[in-house]
Amino acid sequence: MNTDPYFIDFPGRIQAIQEKMAASGLDVYLGSRLRTLSWTTDAFCPWRSFIVIPSDGLPTVFTFVIDAARVADDSWLDTDHVLGFAPMGGQDQITAVSDKIKDHLKGKKGVLGVEAGMSNYLPEGNLTNFEFQAFQAALPDLKLINALDIVDNLSLIKDAGTINRFRKAGEITDAGHVAVFNAIRNGGFKKYTETEIAGIAGMGMRTAGSVWEWSFTGGNEIASGYRTGLMGGACTPPTTRRLQAGEPLMVDLHATFKLGLGDHTHNYLLAPATPRQRWHVRNFVDLVSLVLQTYKAGVSPSSLADEMLDFCEERGFAEYMVPGFEHGIGMLGDEWRIGPNNGPFAYWTNPDHRYEPDEMLICALQYACPEEQIGFRYENAILITKTGCETMSNYALGVEEIE
Amino acid sequence: MSGLIYLSPEWTIEAAQRLRSQLTPEQMKNLTSSMLTIYHNCPDGQERALYYKIENGTFTDISVRQEPFPEVEFVISGDYDVFAKISRAEIGSRSALMNGKLRLKGNMVKALSLASIVDRFNKILSEIPCEY
Repeated sequence: MNTDPYFIDFPGRIQAIQEKMAASGLDVYLGSRLRTLSWTTDAFCPWRSFIVIPSDGLPTVFTFVIDAARVADDSWLDTDHVLGFAPMGGQDQITAVSDKIKDHLKGKKGVLGVEAGMSNYLPEGNLTNFEFQAFQAALPDLKLINALDIVDNLSLIKDAGTINRFRKAGEITDAGHVAVFNAIRNGGFKKYTETEIAGIAGMGMRTAGSVWEWSFTGGNEIASGYRTGLMGGACTPPTTRRLQAGEPLMVDLHATFKLGLGDHTHNYLLAPATPRQRWHVRNFVDLVSLVLQTYKAGVSPSSLADEMLDFCEERGFAEYMVPGFEHGIGMLGDEWRIGPNNGPFAYWTNPDHRYEPDEMLICALQYACPEEQIGFRYENAILITKTGCETMSNYALGVEEIE
Repeated sequence: MSGLIYLSPEWTIEAAQRLRSQLTPEQMKNLTSSMLTIYHNCPDGQERALYYKIENGTFTDISVRQEPFPEVEFVISGDYDVFAKISRAEIGSRSALMNGKLRLKGNMVKALSLASIVDRFNKILSEIPCEY
């Protein structure tokens, strides 16, 4: 028995995909999305990459040649199963991948599962139209069908190794928050800009073991003053804006540990704070507490939103809430949609998806009052349990006033 | 030495002799590998291949083959004319690969690490006086 708390049975994952392939009549699966590469290889694949999964046996990864040796070094797959492609005769990605698929099929006709959906996450990695057509032209005896639901459904429930990686990544974001707090307290904030706060947090998290501030939204999202309260906004890449007394500060940190993702936001009021600002704080903190008490197996995004927005209405701040309380999460590259692809809008979260134990998501709230130039964000990866949820970051909930 | 016919039995014997005498196992980095260069559209219309088997840095087999070709670690294929131009140093092998005139099949990462070795023995082969 493997005693590594971060152990993941990657060969088992491949076998699970192969069983689903057989059930779906697929001869080969061609993965191209970042989330699929992470989930199957245990390696970060920042360049265009593909994984060819045969009906049995080991898969083969293809990535840009400059990074292939490193991916093989990080992955559980050996160098014979992590190959590079390059703009050379026979080695471009279409030819190299197609040749491998032909090798597996040994001249037979067949069905190739591909990943050809849609996402609002830019680095998703679905096949482009050009790639789809080029593979179809190179593999005329194969029928290409969209099969990405196989990986999405298998990756929904998190195993122990994945959960522990997320726990560690959450712990690392806490270290980032400590670094920020130490830098801004006792008037220290006056020395810094948003970008510098992002860097201080990054240093704190890197020291604690993070390999990347993973979010494509600017690494660590730092907002101050009016930027915390942008209408409907929940995306704040840091700017060179200087922190100022009397303003809110939003610190949204992203850590990566073994492809597990930390995502936690903490908020501050930079003194002096007004009574009205404290009213906003109470609204926000009470709401986050209630949300965290409400998540459990059986709850759905829409049922939770209805319940929370009723609370916001009763307290008189419903107009300041972005009406969503979560987004999906998984190993690096798996961000945004929650649950399977079975909602009313293709590739978006099904609002009636019922959470199951061992699903993970990012509890995500954005409170924004543009007219008062104030806002707060809460994000934290959570693990759904039968009776509640476990937060991956354990940084104390609150909005501290920094003198 | 008068010109040998490129890829003829005599040329192959000369190639093997030169490679074995001019490249030590150390210069070959004690490599163990196998490679096939497939020549499409030879002057007689046939397809041929030059097979190299290297064990611990020593060429143990250099021979001209016809289909069915043996299983190898690397295959480089292209038109006879392209290989002839490379042998006459009219174009470089890297350039031919980059332009798609030659096609490589095999592990690209390993191929990169072997490129300098292949350059070394291609240079020796290009020095054999021959006719195309």
